[in-house]
Amino acid sequence: MQRISIDPITRLEGHGKIDIFLDEEGEVANAYLQIPELRGFERFCVGRPAEDMPNLTARICGVCPEAHHLAATKALDALFHVDPPPTAKKLRELFYSIFYATDHTTHFYALSGPDFVMGPDSPAAERNILGVVKKVGMEIAGKVLKMRRDGHALIKMIGGRAVHPNWGLPGGVSRGINEEQRKEIEQLGRDAVEFAKFSLKLFGDVVLANSDFVNLIKNDAYVHRTYNMGTVDKNNKVNFYDGMIRVVGPDGAEFARYEAKDYQQHIAEHVEPWTYLKFPYLKKIGWKGFVDGADSGVYKATPLSRLNAADGMATPLAQAEYERMYETLGGKPVHNTLATHWARLIELLYAAEHWVELATDPGITGKDYRVLPTQKPTEGVGSVEAPRGTLTHHYTTDDRGILTRVNLVVGTTNNYAPISMSVKKAAQGLIHKGQVTEGLLNMVEMAFRAYDPCFGCATHSLPGQMPLEVTLRGPDGEILRRLTQFVP
Amino acid sequence: MKTLVLGLGNPLVTDDAVGLRVVEQLRPRLTERADVEVDVDYAGGLRLMERLVGYDRAIIVDAICTGATPGTLHCLRADSVPTQHSASAHDVNLATALDLGRQAGAHLPKTADILLVGIEAEDILTFCEECTPLVQAAIPRAVEAVEAILSDERNSL
Repeated sequence: MQRISIDPITRLEGHGKIDIFLDEEGEVANAYLQIPELRGFERFCVGRPAEDMPNLTARICGVCPEAHHLAATKALDALFHVDPPPTAKKLRELFYSIFYATDHTTHFYALSGPDFVMGPDSPAAERNILGVVKKVGMEIAGKVLKMRRDGHALIKMIGGRAVHPNWGLPGGVSRGINEEQRKEIEQLGRDAVEFAKFSLKLFGDVVLANSDFVNLIKNDAYVHRTYNMGTVDKNNKVNFYDGMIRVVGPDGAEFARYEAKDYQQHIAEHVEPWTYLKFPYLKKIGWKGFVDGADSGVYKATPLSRLNAADGMATPLAQAEYERMYETLGGKPVHNTLATHWARLIELLYAAEHWVELATDPGITGKDYRVLPTQKPTEGVGSVEAPRGTLTHHYTTDDRGILTRVNLVVGTTNNYAPISMSVKKAAQGLIHKGQVTEGLLNMVEMAFRAYDPCFGCATHSLPGQMPLEVTLRGPDGEILRRLTQFVP
Repeated sequence: MKTLVLGLGNPLVTDDAVGLRVVEQLRPRLTERADVEVDVDYAGGLRLMERLVGYDRAIIVDAICTGATPGTLHCLRADSVPTQHSASAHDVNLATALDLGRQAGAHLPKTADILLVGIEAEDILTFCEECTPLVQAAIPRAVEAVEAILSDERNSL
């Protein structure tokens, strides 16, 4: 049996490795995504005060510390039985909208965008953000860096620190904003809306106007008909910070709508012998293996899933783009994995619009941003939509608030089964008779990249080398060919 | 020459924190150097590039994994570290990030003036607030290495 190994070891997300096994005929027999998990987080936390969790969990991941910070803070609200005042909730959501706009920008321009703007067959050396700048124009570099700079500056202004926020408290936040700060937040939010509109126009001009790219999105190798999960507000519109967890079936009909605290009634985890990471699935359907369809408990929790699981977007411009996407791709739900990139840009626009809405809310500069907890802590669940999927923190403590149990279901974990399925299906559709080219491997990787996967840590040790390594092995395990890609 | 000494790492993940520990020890020893700023951060790529804006030189202290004996020091220039195909990272590699920043007009140190002091790590996957013994023992040597770089520069001026 031949084995192809794709090893996109990265600094920020922990190490991921894709192994593709070929049979005697050179056809894809199987594909595995293996993740060496960071060890011992629960043990590390037990015995510490629960109030440490927003700061501790923000450090487990260098990619979305803000998501962990808020999920942990919400878990503390529940644990200490306090309901934060409206100003605190609005400030948290404002902070989170700014984070979302910043994070989605980075993913689109630095990671997924280059595949589309440059084309999946373009040389690896050009398939990066510099290639995008060269093709689309110099001003784009400045726009992307401004969006990031503004986002980071405001996250620091509101959250107290540039590196990791230390702001969320059970019952609220540690400080509010004044009118001068509000004005700056509003102005930069208006810039962010323009940037998001520009990004969607770019996507339209470069991707949607090119029938090859539209066909790629529609290619059956990138389709999985699974359940979809996302958080919705009371009108069933997408919300990142709070609401009900809604799951829709492969046909788009509502399957479940529940409060985050009840997650264990709805989600169970499957274990496979070849990986330490568990595979969450819908408990009421059951684990039927790595398969699509209404009878399989596999679900996705991605930007596209959130759009599929909701009835629309809560802001006008994003709603118009939402309608355009479903119209273009043949109605709801959309199961084309690569459309996740489009959905991410629609979420970017929503985040920017909501940022402005909250920055112009009369209550946002209120001084009543914290309620002091007075009850004994017991158990609490907090959940937000992380950019990469529904993020759940669940803590149990003793009477003194010392942690006795910690359980986290992180964004990407939700998608572990569908990512594995997507990689296998793309490999099966694209690799035949042992024929492997760099372009084909990139197209397999694109299935992986659409999920923006992140495996929960800030393991960012400077690497000795980080190649994309591809090893072809013969039936006896001998190496037939080895391809290594470096970005020069 | 305005220099940034930047420790990178995660304080909760064993040897991944070594860059932060080195910088903690350096900070009080560099208080008289008005031309040197000492700080910590956690990320590479675009974020690291953005942190370097406005400096003439940077010394980055971080854990490194090359397969050498844990605690081994690697003193490198940014352009001598093999770059990676960051196929699915949430970021780009430093070289790409620096190019992007320069194209956007940012004042960044020349690549030859971005120095890396890497401390070979043993364990970067376990949650623990202490480094492994060989890595812990390397901290004073890493402190000296950074000081040597800084004093060399002073002598040459």
